[in-house]
Amino acid sequence: MQKYLLRRALFALGTLIGVSLIIFVVLRILPGDPLVAILGVEGHAKMAPADRAVLMRDLGLSDSLPVQYVRWMRDIATGELGKSFFRGDTVRDLILHRGPLSAEIAILALIISWLVGLPVGILSATRPNGWADAVVRSLSVLFIAVPGFWLGLLIVLALLFWFGYKAPIIIVQLWENPWQNFQLIIGPAVVLGLAQGAYIARMSRSCLLEVIREDYVRTARAKGAVERAVVMHHALPNALLPVITISGVLLGFVLGGSVAVEQAFGVPGLGRALVVAIVERDIVVVQNLVLLYAGIFVLVNVLVDMSYAWLDPRIRYQ
Amino acid sequence: MADRTRSKSRSSSVTRRSFLKTLGIAGAAAGAGPAVLRSPAEAQETPFRDPAAKPGGTLRYGVHTAPAHFDVHQSGTVANIGAQSPMYDTLIRRDPRDGQTIIPDLAFKWDVAPDGKKYTFHLRKGVKFHDGADFTAEDVKATYERIVRPPKGVVIPRSSLFTTVGEIVVPDPHRIEFRLTEARPRAFMLGAFASGWNIIVRKKTLDDNQGNLRQVMAYPGTGPFRHVSRRDKEVWIMERNPNYWNKGLPYVDKLEIYHLLPFSPELGAAFLSGKLDYARLLDPISWRKAKEMPGVTAAVFNQSVIQTFYMNQKKVKAFQDVRVRRAIHLAMDRHVLVDVVKDTAPMQIGGFVYPFHEASTPKAELEKRLGYQKDPKAAIQEAKKLMQAAGYGQGIKGLDFLIRGGANTFKLWAVAIQAMLKEHLNVECNLREVQISQWFEEAAAGNFDLGITAIVSALMDPSDYFSSWYGKDAPNNYGGWTNEQFHSLARNIEREVDDNKRKTMIRQAEDILESDPPLIPVAYEQICDAWYNRVHGQNPSKYFGIYDVVRWDQVWMAQS
Repeated sequence: MQKYLLRRALFALGTLIGVSLIIFVVLRILPGDPLVAILGVEGHAKMAPADRAVLMRDLGLSDSLPVQYVRWMRDIATGELGKSFFRGDTVRDLILHRGPLSAEIAILALIISWLVGLPVGILSATRPNGWADAVVRSLSVLFIAVPGFWLGLLIVLALLFWFGYKAPIIIVQLWENPWQNFQLIIGPAVVLGLAQGAYIARMSRSCLLEVIREDYVRTARAKGAVERAVVMHHALPNALLPVITISGVLLGFVLGGSVAVEQAFGVPGLGRALVVAIVERDIVVVQNLVLLYAGIFVLVNVLVDMSYAWLDPRIRYQ
Repeated sequence: MADRTRSKSRSSSVTRRSFLKTLGIAGAAAGAGPAVLRSPAEAQETPFRDPAAKPGGTLRYGVHTAPAHFDVHQSGTVANIGAQSPMYDTLIRRDPRDGQTIIPDLAFKWDVAPDGKKYTFHLRKGVKFHDGADFTAEDVKATYERIVRPPKGVVIPRSSLFTTVGEIVVPDPHRIEFRLTEARPRAFMLGAFASGWNIIVRKKTLDDNQGNLRQVMAYPGTGPFRHVSRRDKEVWIMERNPNYWNKGLPYVDKLEIYHLLPFSPELGAAFLSGKLDYARLLDPISWRKAKEMPGVTAAVFNQSVIQTFYMNQKKVKAFQDVRVRRAIHLAMDRHVLVDVVKDTAPMQIGGFVYPFHEASTPKAELEKRLGYQKDPKAAIQEAKKLMQAAGYGQGIKGLDFLIRGGANTFKLWAVAIQAMLKEHLNVECNLREVQISQWFEEAAAGNFDLGITAIVSALMDPSDYFSSWYGKDAPNNYGGWTNEQFHSLARNIEREVDDNKRKTMIRQAEDILESDPPLIPVAYEQICDAWYNRVHGQNPSKYFGIYDVVRWDQVWMAQS
């Protein structure tokens, strides 16, 4: 077990180093000048080359790429994560302030995806090709196909024009005011959760359909177990493994999707901070947030792998 | 379809017309002579106080995203000035009642030498910075030395307004003299001093930070509000300055400035749902909705921005021919272009000078000219002839059209212009949208054939933007245009102190630009504001831009 964990940790570290190198290089190859955002269009147009050199030096962008990369790694090691180009705020503070909101959205979205996806999948699998199955399958395709940010905008506009409602416009943490915090996260979480729920429903349906035809399920029925117990106690636990695997992957989609959905709902989470940082060419913020997302994704997948043995005792770590 | 869109455009221009009519009357009064012009534009009296005002309350104001840094002088965006100005004062300022008249601020009066080469400002006594330090003329000198001659690595877009400022002298702690190397029109110079950008900061603050305040949050000012807290990209909270020199002001106890993306549904939603008292830079759809709401006032006013289309003369040989540029100028149906973006950003038609400036060709006259007429047939016919005469009757193929990303207006216009050029002149171009920072990088490097963007000015006075938009090798002259006759005339306009002569010269300059276009004015931007009627003391309907009247000291809330 320990050997397995060590191997996975090393593999995860290698993945993160690879990701960091890719982000670092790509952000410096991409065209675009952060000084436009810093000085504004007018100031940028009137900037003399000598001023430009001073500004680039101050931002640390005139150093060689290896020096810049090492500096970034040092910032990560110290937990500072560097400073935003623009207001001098540290990326650590940004993550600490906005991270909880995005984390709440991701967790709630995942919970919603299971709460919606799993019962729907079970219903669909236990009554295959019936009208309920057809409706459920159509809806799941719909939620997979509809872009989250578009659905988000529709919800925002509908709430505004029909009820004159808008969620709070600044961050309210869970421990400050739970009700206002809930109003902030529920919209993005529902939109992201429904899309992921559709995947969960489809996956659980197909897995359950496969398992239900297994011999041991037939044996359970032959013993006289009621259908509900057969599905819930015998078939479902064994059908869940691939669903859990896909949940890990879906968390990645939730993180990625939150960037656009937070923007649509106007929720000031990390996803929105990433969008603004990209527009402003705030390289330090972008590279740290992308690495954070990558880190979370890698970690979740390791946890998913580890959960296999707990869920299925036949699986052993090697 | 085209007729229908044009008629919509006509009906939507009623407010604009009535406003221009008002300005026209003001312009006619100004034309009676410099004395007539000066007297309403300057008022050396104690700043206005509303006898009906009730103190107290909180103003929740939504404006723009967070500033990229904190140095107001170095900024060019409302992200700074919109959020930070309430904490600072200027030497003189624009009256919030009309946004035009120049009134005292930290200087309670001023004198201009008869030869126009010395501006003396008499400063108030007993003014204190928020950190308790006394305000003196040394602070003004340090502020303006930095604006006029920025230290290395400090870029101040308004330095060009003060190119003629030579010495800045402090005869005593409450008097300061600006000695000019060459006289400039009084209205231009006072306009420059009254610009909201030129906030007075403490000498010690500048010294302590080597003249660079980009990463210094909430450095002390003398303004009506003091910094309380700031949440990056969310909200900046300020409280009433109890020691403000203008006793009784500000009226409101607290100011909450929310950073919300301009023209975004988010800003519109925040206002319409009542989470803001006042919203600036609303998108037209939310603004129209707000206008219909009971208890809400909505205003549209002129912005100091021109939306421009560039033709790169350094790269494309055809554009070196004035006939080709003029043909493209004529082939654009501006009424359609304004209509195309009416749900994205409010725009108005204009030529090469701000259409609402007293010296520009009046709208009625402008709309008789080719290229500005509601029916574009004659202009298109003329454009075709010009292309034929220039040897490009078969059109031009494969042009690279660089579009500034980030704003939907540019995308919509690019598609419309591409179609107009193809249909009318057989000019074919490939659209290339890039992020804003890349646009300016590529434009400065000349990596484009055609381009579309927006550029700004600090003042409405043409001398400010003639040099930066159309000047030889000017920062915004991305097309590489030169015209010696214009450059010489522009220099003379800068120096001419007689308003009437200056007006005639500006008209001559307009004529040159019409016949030899350095760029093509697509439209002039307008700003949509809305506020609940509980907010009193500010109506921007006659303001020019969003950079001068931004202090909120005379605003009061009815419910308090």
